[in-house]
Amino acid sequence: MIQYYSRFLGFAFVLLLLQMWVFDHINLFGFSNPFLYLLLLITYRLDLNQFTFIFVGFVIGFTLDLLTHTAGAHAIACVTIAFLRPIIARFALGVNYDQPNAIYNGTLWTNRILYLFLMIFIHQLIFSSVAYFSFSHLWKITKLTLANSLFTFVLITATINLLQRKK
Amino acid sequence: MQWVLNALFRYRNFLLFFLLFSFSLAFSGIQSSYHQSKLSKGSLFISGLIHEPFDVLYSYLNLSEINKNLVLENNKLKNLVLEKAEQPESLAKEKNMVEPSRYWSIPAKVIRNSFTQKRNIIIIDKGSRDDIIQEMGVIGTSGIIGIVNQVSLGYASVLSILNQDVKINAKFKKSNVFGSLSWTNGMPNEMRLDDISIINPVKIGDTIVTGGMSTYFPEGIAIGTVAQVELPETGGYYQIMVTLINNMTDLDHVYLLGNKDKDELLQLIDQP
Repeated sequence: MIQYYSRFLGFAFVLLLLQMWVFDHINLFGFSNPFLYLLLLITYRLDLNQFTFIFVGFVIGFTLDLLTHTAGAHAIACVTIAFLRPIIARFALGVNYDQPNAIYNGTLWTNRILYLFLMIFIHQLIFSSVAYFSFSHLWKITKLTLANSLFTFVLITATINLLQRKK
Repeated sequence: MQWVLNALFRYRNFLLFFLLFSFSLAFSGIQSSYHQSKLSKGSLFISGLIHEPFDVLYSYLNLSEINKNLVLENNKLKNLVLEKAEQPESLAKEKNMVEPSRYWSIPAKVIRNSFTQKRNIIIIDKGSRDDIIQEMGVIGTSGIIGIVNQVSLGYASVLSILNQDVKINAKFKKSNVFGSLSWTNGMPNEMRLDDISIINPVKIGDTIVTGGMSTYFPEGIAIGTVAQVELPETGGYYQIMVTLINNMTDLDHVYLLGNKDKDELLQLIDQP
């Protein structure tokens, strides 16, 4: 377990720095950025204690908030997605919802895609809503959520495939 | 006891989530003033509802004191009317008096007042249905109180001048030397006046009034008197502490000032 957490910590360190230095500055079409660091919350082993996971989600989000000077949007989105993950996993992955590596193997690809999509979309929806925090920006929030979700989804699916092949 | 512990343990995930979520929300309030003002609009509605009943009781017990103040204020107004009546119109203009026609006032009652925080907020019992809009100036019986920040249907929140983000344009009554008045988190009756150049004579006891260079307050409303003047060793500006005329810890009735020419003025300012 210590080995898993130390590897996770290293992974988190790399992804957060990448997010801060690279992925926050891509600005595809002038506004869209991928959130690759979501990979941490998506690939975190599904069989582990949720209490710890919520805390991990908060730490990741809060760190990124401090690094990128956002006003709590990352922390709120991450902690919510960490709290909702068991429900999403049960809905999307079915009986395999508590398999440690359900997103790499042992599940249908359609289930995996649904799981990935829900995690990313809900995170993005919360993130954009908190960032704009006003009903008058509804159109902007929708546009940002859809564009960022799609961008993130493509990038995360590619990364997961890469990691899977390595294994 | 066992039952409570069991419940805590059973809902520990939700409790942790709730705790961290609230923390993040509070963090966003601290980080960004935009989020803070949006959040405060929500809390304004709730705190307005909670504080009003208590305030009814308090104001009833306080009636004699209020009466005394009202009499004083009436007296002051009467004097002003008499003074104006005695002066020819041209003289009044020359004396740079406040033009009453540009501003209109709406009386309101304070139902919550804070003065111990870094950013103090006052809540009043008038809202958008009483024609209160954002950024109206608020004055008390004698002196300025703050600026309207958020408005809901029946209530409004006022950024107190005891708020580290608020800067008020002020000047000396005796001359036209302008400065910027701000609160430095000290006593609720002390503010600091900056940007007064040392080429101007300043004495303890000099009266500070509003400068009239903003759209919030008309020119010439009393703010306070100079309590302390320091000549800095470096730099060309005084360090002036001002004692407020108003007692900001004891507010009850206030007046909101609307500026008829505000839109016109802002349009002019915004023009490139």
